[in-house]
Amino acid sequence: MFKKSDICNNPGYMNIEKYELKSGEQLELFEFVSVGPKGRIIKLVQYSPTNYKDLFNLGFGDKNIETGEIDDSAISNNGDSEKVLATVVATLYAFTDKHRDALVYVTGSTKSRTRLYRMGVTKYFDEAINDFEIFGEINNKWEEFRKDVEYEGFIVKRKLN
Amino acid sequence: MNVKDVNTKKKPVVVIDKSLDFFNDKVLFPKKLEKANEMLKKAGLPETKKT
Repeated sequence: MFKKSDICNNPGYMNIEKYELKSGEQLELFEFVSVGPKGRIIKLVQYSPTNYKDLFNLGFGDKNIETGEIDDSAISNNGDSEKVLATVVATLYAFTDKHRDALVYVTGSTKSRTRLYRMGVTKYFDEAINDFEIFGEINNKWEEFRKDVEYEGFIVKRKLN
Repeated sequence: MNVKDVNTKKKPVVVIDKSLDFFNDKVLFPKKLEKANEMLKKAGLPETKKT
C-alpha cells in the first residue's frame, strides 16, 4: 500500500512507470502484478455498481495466490507504492474511457487509508483536474475538492472533453 | 511504441483477458461497496457539470 513518503515528491502522473493492466471486456475489473522485495503480488481493482445510477464504487486489494481470497486492508510494503498508485489511476482512465457518464466513488477501508487516498488525489490534482471533476465528502456534504481538507470520500467524473 | 512510451502515456494499454469477465457479476469488495452505499445514502451525490 501507499506510504506517505511515496506521495510527497511529485514527478507527475504521466512520468511515473505503471504496471501492465489486464481487464475483462467490460473494463470493470482490472488485474496487475506488483513486483518487489516481497515477491509478486496480484492486485485487483474493481468498479462495482452502487445503488445509484451510473455511480460505481472503486474497490482495490490484494489477491492471495494460495487461497484466492481478496484483502483490501493488506499492507504489501512491496516498495512500489508510487507505481501501484499510478496504475490504479490508470484504471480510472481506462474505466471512464468506456463508461463516459460514470461517477466513481472512492474511500478507504480505514481512516488512515482514506487519508492516503486523499494525499494521492492531491499529488495528481493539477493533472487530474484537466480530465476529471473531483469532489470531496465532508460532514455528509459534497464540495469541489480542495487540497488539505480531510475528506471522508471522493467522487470523480470524467470531463467530456 | 516502446515500453517506456506505453508507461508514460496518460491512457493505459490494457490487455483484454476474457477470463476476468467471469467476475463481472461478482462483488469482490462487498464491505467496501456496503460502506459506499451507506455514505452515499447520507451525502447524496454532488452536482456535476453537464458538459
